[in-house]
Amino acid sequence: MRLAVSAAALSTALLAAGPAPAAEPWGIPGEKPMVLKGRVVDAICHLTGQCPRDCGAGRRQLGIAVAGGPFRLVAKGAVDFAGAVPDLIGYCGREIEADGLLIETPEIVLFFVQGVRSDASGPFAPADRFKAEWEARHGRAEEWWRADPEANRILAEDGPYGIRGLAPKPKP
Amino acid sequence: MAAHHGGGAASGMIGRVCHRDMTGMSQWRIILALFAMLLVSPATAQAQSGQRVTVTGEISDSWCLVSGLMFAKGTAHHQCAVWCALGGIPVSIRDAQGKLYLILRIGDDDRSVANPRVARLASHEVTVDGEVLERDGVTYLLVDQIADDKGVITMTHEEYGIQPFGN
Repeated sequence: MRLAVSAAALSTALLAAGPAPAAEPWGIPGEKPMVLKGRVVDAICHLTGQCPRDCGAGRRQLGIAVAGGPFRLVAKGAVDFAGAVPDLIGYCGREIEADGLLIETPEIVLFFVQGVRSDASGPFAPADRFKAEWEARHGRAEEWWRADPEANRILAEDGPYGIRGLAPKPKP
Repeated sequence: MAAHHGGGAASGMIGRVCHRDMTGMSQWRIILALFAMLLVSPATAQAQSGQRVTVTGEISDSWCLVSGLMFAKGTAHHQCAVWCALGGIPVSIRDAQGKLYLILRIGDDDRSVANPRVARLASHEVTVDGEVLERDGVTYLLVDQIADDKGVITMTHEEYGIQPFGN
């Protein structure tokens, strides 16, 4: 009898915690794989109440307001050097599940999303929309960051060190 | 500019409703108004007043600062910081004590995703005035103005080269 009660309690606890995360660990200090369940909201809206209906249409940083829990800013998606706003903006104001890594340090807490879904019975879609959207604007590139016109403009003007006139020494 | 969906409109509605006699109909209106307020702006109830602060520190992308995967400081990290800022990763200021302030707005410009203006500040040592909002382990900053910009002053490239990937 006691075993049956314990099993029921465990099942309830597992259901409440949501599905098991499938996120790939990156070995980052303070990382915890987890699935966040909550509503997509823009950070300024959540903090100040200034809420455009479209969550800023991709201009504002987004996060997940966990039901009855914390607000988690989603800082990174699955594309190198890129955030996750393209993966979340289509869910503005809606409930989703986000599979990823919560990075908790004494200085800051951020979420690195690797997959998103709105249907709990469906698969997670990879959080890689940034690359598709970038390539739709600029064409295919193996490394978007080296091909980005705005990045190249800034780095050409200010140099790779950010100081005009200071350039790497030529390789011998 | 973002529309303000705060409780003002809903509060006004409640105020107008409360001046009527408390008939059955008006009670229903109050209930509906409260419900509408919850739907329109759930964030307002959680919003907290901010402190005015002046922060001095280096601007960098939050991901590299937190992950430790790149050397996120000074000249060695400038190129990476530009890429990350243009990739839409949120940008922070790290002060001399190591505290991180995540920037959500500069002046009237609420574009904190892939903003070229912000990317041009990568690795710069700046002093900013603004409003700080603490929430769930993150210190957010709504910058009113950049009071000083010294440019990139932390020379790390001689020791670390260009991070990552080299030149």
